[in-house]
Amino acid sequence: MRYGLVLLTALFLSALPGFCANAHAGEDLLVFAGAASQPPTEEAAAAFEKKTGLGVDLIFGGSGFVLSQMMLAQRGDIYFPGSSDFMEIARKKGAIVAETEQKVAYLVQAINVQKGNPKGIHNLRDLTKPGIRVAIANPEGVCVGLYAVETIEKEFSPAEKAAFKKNLVNYTESCEKTATAISLKAVDAVLGWSVFQHWDPARIETIPLKKSEILRIGYIPVALASYSKNQARARQFIAFLLSEEGKAIYRKYHYFMSPEEASAWIGAKKPVGGEYALPAEWRPK
Amino acid sequence: MSLRRVSILFAFSTFALFAVLVLSLFYFYRGGLFMETLLAERTLFSIRLSVFSATVAALLATALAVPSAYALSRCDFPGKDAIDTILELPLIVSPAALGAMLLIFFSNPLGNWIQTRGMQFVFDSNGIILAQFVTTLGVATRLTKAAMDEIPRRYEDVARTLGASPAAAFFNITLPLCRRGLIAAFILSWAKAMGEFGATITLAGTMAMKTETLPVAIFMKLSTADIDGTVVLILIMTAIGVGTLYAVRLIGQKGMHA
Repeated sequence: MRYGLVLLTALFLSALPGFCANAHAGEDLLVFAGAASQPPTEEAAAAFEKKTGLGVDLIFGGSGFVLSQMMLAQRGDIYFPGSSDFMEIARKKGAIVAETEQKVAYLVQAINVQKGNPKGIHNLRDLTKPGIRVAIANPEGVCVGLYAVETIEKEFSPAEKAAFKKNLVNYTESCEKTATAISLKAVDAVLGWSVFQHWDPARIETIPLKKSEILRIGYIPVALASYSKNQARARQFIAFLLSEEGKAIYRKYHYFMSPEEASAWIGAKKPVGGEYALPAEWRPK
Repeated sequence: MSLRRVSILFAFSTFALFAVLVLSLFYFYRGGLFMETLLAERTLFSIRLSVFSATVAALLATALAVPSAYALSRCDFPGKDAIDTILELPLIVSPAALGAMLLIFFSNPLGNWIQTRGMQFVFDSNGIILAQFVTTLGVATRLTKAAMDEIPRRYEDVARTLGASPAAAFFNITLPLCRRGLIAAFILSWAKAMGEFGATITLAGTMAMKTETLPVAIFMKLSTADIDGTVVLILIMTAIGVGTLYAVRLIGQKGMHA
């Protein structure tokens, strides 16, 4: 019994420094990030910590969800959504310092299928074939879903759109979950980003869209949050992301680091970013 | 201060804690938006879907809980302790992990076979019922067992000596006696299913007008950085949940006095 008590006390005391370290974490940078950049951003934050000794706490989720969290908490140093659309919302709501916005990486839309392409999906129209299970990210809250809807609306005839919608089994709630839907074989195809393949090369394969089907190049912006009390350090982290060292990390995961790189992959020059208003039929009231 | 007063103070503190949380929602409350959101087709769909799936899930969970709770309460058999322990699995494994377990199951050959030849669960409204059923089954069984444990085994033994078969003794003695416990198990399972989010979203997804239950709708509002809308949906959800539970409690008390 007494030994038990001693052991408990020892455990309690040994846990104390851990709590103290957490209390100290208020000094770390707090970044609210969209899941579209999760794998390289985690690596970049670790590299930044190693280089400067400054801690970076990353909170990932759907771009809109983390924006809500940041606004409700009135905390955070950096907002790093998955696309320009949510940066625009953040700007309108006064959650970021607008003039600090920078573009970190560029994304290109593609079809993602299971490794080996068991359903033989080779182009956008194959997604309308009967019996194919497709998912897109929820276009109301996730950037990659919005890009998908734009392409569907532009490319498909009303009959094709109806066939596609029949195959559309789900909206996923973040970029990362869109990729996971393929990894877990929950669907046969998603309209995602070309980089998904490099998030899980063993299970995901990318089928490029035709040049004409890609309307815009997406980009991942970053900006200083209005709530930041660590502005100098936050700027330092943003500068690191944009440095050659930071870019190399994103490049490793096959993100495009300039519009030219993205255009070269597509095979044609395309506009970058911009806004797209989701049609009413995709946003039921 | 007397023990009575201290305990009442604690009870009120608990009430105050939740009351403050609910009241703080009104900081973002906008009257006009409330009726607009409440009467929106999409909200009404979410409410109907939530109520329907929670009711089916709770009915299924209670129906399955009765025979297994009877076995756990009355019989000794190998593996009983293991079964009793695994009932808590949904409490230990997080709801999102439980949803992921279901999703992973359906990506396996057996799950795939069920989906192609039987019923579709992944990203389907059936998935909502399954997710809610899996998260509530343990609770339903545990509560039903507790209710059966309260009833002395001797009553059944007496019935048997008077010539009743084991099944007749169960249906005529045990089941009617633990009726209140069963109702409580159903109501709590229903409430838990109504609020289920993690497993539902992971297995069934977030499609508006298809798999968007009220908790999922709240998450979606927050995902579009619409805090005012989120508040309205939380208020609706709280009103439905608390209102239903309170009504059931009132009806239960009346039933007891009748």
